[in-house]
Amino acid sequence: NAPVRVRKEKEAFEINFMDPAADPPAEVLQAPRTAHSIKLPKKDQISKSRNLLPDDKHFNSRQLIRLFLKPKSSIVRRKNVALAG
Amino acid sequence: MRGIFDQCLAGTGSIGSTISASGRAGEKIFTKDLCRFLNRVLVVKKSEVVGDRCLRLVDGFVKNLVEGNKKKKARPKEKEKDADGDVEMGEEEEEEEEIIDTSATRIVLRILKYVVGFLGSKERSVRYRTTQFLALLLVNSLPTFPFQSWKVALSIFRQLLADLTERLHDKEAIVRVQAAIGLVRLLDMGVTPASDAENSDDEEEPELVTILQEVMANDPSSDVRRTILHNMAATPTTLPYLLERSRDVDPATRRAVFNHLLPSIGDFRQLSIVMRERLLRYGLNDRDESVRKAARQMFNYKWIDDTEGDILEVLERLDITSEAIEGGPKYLALKGLWEHRKDVLNDIQFPDEFWDSLTPEGAFLARSFNDYCRNTSPQEAKNLDIDERMPEVTKLAQHLQRYLNKLVMLLREEDEDEAANVEFIVLQLLLIAQTMDYGDEIGRRRMFALMRECLSIVELSEPVTKLMVQGLRKLCTSESDFCLLILEAISAIQDSIIGEEEEEDIGDGEDSFHSARSEAREELDTITVTPIPQQVTRGEPTSKKQKIEPSKKRRRESDDEGEDADTMDFDGEEDEEAANLLKELTVNLRCLHIARCMLENVDGGLTSNAHLVTMLNGLVVPAVRSHDALVRERGLGCLGLCCLLDQTLAEENLVLFAHCFNKGHEKLQVEALQIISDLLLVHGSALFESDKRTIEQRHLYRMLAKATKMDGNEDVQATAVEVICKLMLGQVIKDEDLLKVLVTAYFDPATARNQSLRQTLSYFLPVFCHSAPANALMMANIAVTELHTLIVLRSSFDEGEDEDMVSLNTIAAHLVEWTDPRKTAPAAEKDWTTHAIVARDALERICV
Repeated sequence: NAPVRVRKEKEAFEINFMDPAADPPAEVLQAPRTAHSIKLPKKDQISKSRNLLPDDKHFNSRQLIRLFLKPKSSIVRRKNVALAG
Repeated sequence: MRGIFDQCLAGTGSIGSTISASGRAGEKIFTKDLCRFLNRVLVVKKSEVVGDRCLRLVDGFVKNLVEGNKKKKARPKEKEKDADGDVEMGEEEEEEEEIIDTSATRIVLRILKYVVGFLGSKERSVRYRTTQFLALLLVNSLPTFPFQSWKVALSIFRQLLADLTERLHDKEAIVRVQAAIGLVRLLDMGVTPASDAENSDDEEEPELVTILQEVMANDPSSDVRRTILHNMAATPTTLPYLLERSRDVDPATRRAVFNHLLPSIGDFRQLSIVMRERLLRYGLNDRDESVRKAARQMFNYKWIDDTEGDILEVLERLDITSEAIEGGPKYLALKGLWEHRKDVLNDIQFPDEFWDSLTPEGAFLARSFNDYCRNTSPQEAKNLDIDERMPEVTKLAQHLQRYLNKLVMLLREEDEDEAANVEFIVLQLLLIAQTMDYGDEIGRRRMFALMRECLSIVELSEPVTKLMVQGLRKLCTSESDFCLLILEAISAIQDSIIGEEEEEDIGDGEDSFHSARSEAREELDTITVTPIPQQVTRGEPTSKKQKIEPSKKRRRESDDEGEDADTMDFDGEEDEEAANLLKELTVNLRCLHIARCMLENVDGGLTSNAHLVTMLNGLVVPAVRSHDALVRERGLGCLGLCCLLDQTLAEENLVLFAHCFNKGHEKLQVEALQIISDLLLVHGSALFESDKRTIEQRHLYRMLAKATKMDGNEDVQATAVEVICKLMLGQVIKDEDLLKVLVTAYFDPATARNQSLRQTLSYFLPVFCHSAPANALMMANIAVTELHTLIVLRSSFDEGEDEDMVSLNTIAAHLVEWTDPRKTAPAAEKDWTTHAIVARDALERICV
């Protein structure tokens, strides 16, 4: 029931080439006081894992219900078998 | 000129002769003006498309200048730029030409020189636009620029290289992406940094290609990594780094390896076998379907087409005999091929000659085809004529026999390489045999006789034997017949040594199995196995080869820590005795292996099957009591399988397996945990309730908890965690303390490297909590104390040591999510108990 928001039409962006006084202030083009402030911190430049995935073990629900010793048969309680038999 | 820029804003600007015409007027003034306008563009934010348009305009202009400058008398082409100003770019042939320092090239260099200065601006928009502009120029206009022809040009390009390299480590990923695009082009053009001092190989400055390779591996933004992957040319140096991205954490980057990189490098046979194998394994098993799809496309179309449809050749280009019996990458690849290339599926034929001269690749192909056809939907199977296209049972048995004979011959000749190939063929044929329809009695008999006979050939490897036992289970009508058949085979093998050995002077626990058979109908209590603690070895298992090494001394000492056996020398008589012992050991191990394979295929009760009781007493029990560690460990495996079939036997022996865990080496510990887990899963917690129980529940739980904490023993830890997970999901274990143990193990940085453990838990914990309200309640009850435990754990680390542990906020978020009643199935009806408990406990901690 949120009120319908009226989307504001984005104003068309313009670069004013016609106005001789429209030059951007010189300081925005300048370098910062310390070059470090625009650099990626050193610790982010190195990734211990090289951004690689670990080995996938593909663990899934089937593994949780199968026996270790008899991977082909899933869990069947002996009692149930006895009852069914 | 203002007018042109202004039109460009509206996206309609075009340049051509207009600009060229103004050129001569006074290049300095012209360039100055141009740069002033550029200023206004370079401060425009990334989101404003007009910025892109203006830069493309200038790029187009520069391109005109560069091309117009060439003496090639062609009119300056007005080549359409790609709409996105991106990097696709046809190679332009570089022509050796006389380069003149013209006003055109001077203008280009002035612009470059002017713009380079802004690369280090403090405004991110300026840095972005500047790198974007330079990347654009380097991709479109400058590849043919003769930068080496005169000094000024060279130094400006070197400046460009240095400053862009700087930006490759910019704080903003968008800047790094553009810098990477530009640098790859500079690399292609061959721009190198100035060697400041002549001949001093500045080892400290790594080469550009090395820097790019490292950034491709290390940059935190996947956009940057992928950009380099997309653009950097594959060379023998770069290829391993490019292919490494097939395991990138970002799916789009992994996909790009298969979709973009691999098609671009041409024939797959250029890759090494190791690389091909890896690409298949990673790609086809990827966690993301879009990557798997891309990998299938690569195999199904690219690779197959590279060999003009010759699948066998593709397989020959892989390491086929390394393929596991189940679930290997090549098996998956072929499965995908049958699924998606119906043309290949329908066309393939296996004529008689094919079977007469099988190769490992051919056998594998046939088996994979057969598996697919036997398992596909009935509708599809109808049209595949599998029975027509595969040999009938009798024929198959003939082929199998021929290759088995060949294998045995090769094994006796000790031709290992060829034997490995033929064994692989035999395995595939046995796997095909498992899927056959044995309605034809003559064929069935033939196959049956063949497998039964081969069971006793000692030379055949364990995987071959295992498949034959499985095959025989299928060929036998009843479980009882099957057991009898196998036991006869075992006793035949044992007889083969009894005849040769006179001195059968072994302790009473070790009657030969043959003689024990007469006691077949004994009472159940005879299968009780008394635990024999003193015989379980500590320490590392010695390798099989070492163990089999004959050691008379070992026998006499009734202790198998015969490390000094290696140094013993034998005289002739001892040699002979040693050889006999070796043979006896080999035969014993083989019998135990066959017994194990049989037990894996038996589901009925133990006591109702007299053959099994016989085997237990005559073969398994003596093995468990053996002095030889290898025999004893195999015996324990068999005993575990027997215990699965009989609750009383399980009750009596649970303590023996616990003992194996406490005293055994790593591998035995894992096996003991697995056996205990299976016994509890099959028989339930009843094992702790009977009068005959041999171990208390709490002792066993404590043992499991201890096992999860055995750092440095990853397999044991991971197995213990899996065991607890299974038993908790199976409702056998309902224990808050063990649940706490699991949560701790999940977050403890000590387990960070144990991927099996972590992945098991990340699957288990939400599944467990959300699958039943009672489970969520259990988690709610421990949540706050557990959080406290983890806070204490975290505070025990020094600065930097805890980097493998997620933040406490993350941990708390997990606990809240696991106890979220809305996520529990069946959806609790407005029952907020779980979160209420967590909130209450948390408040208590804070306020009290």
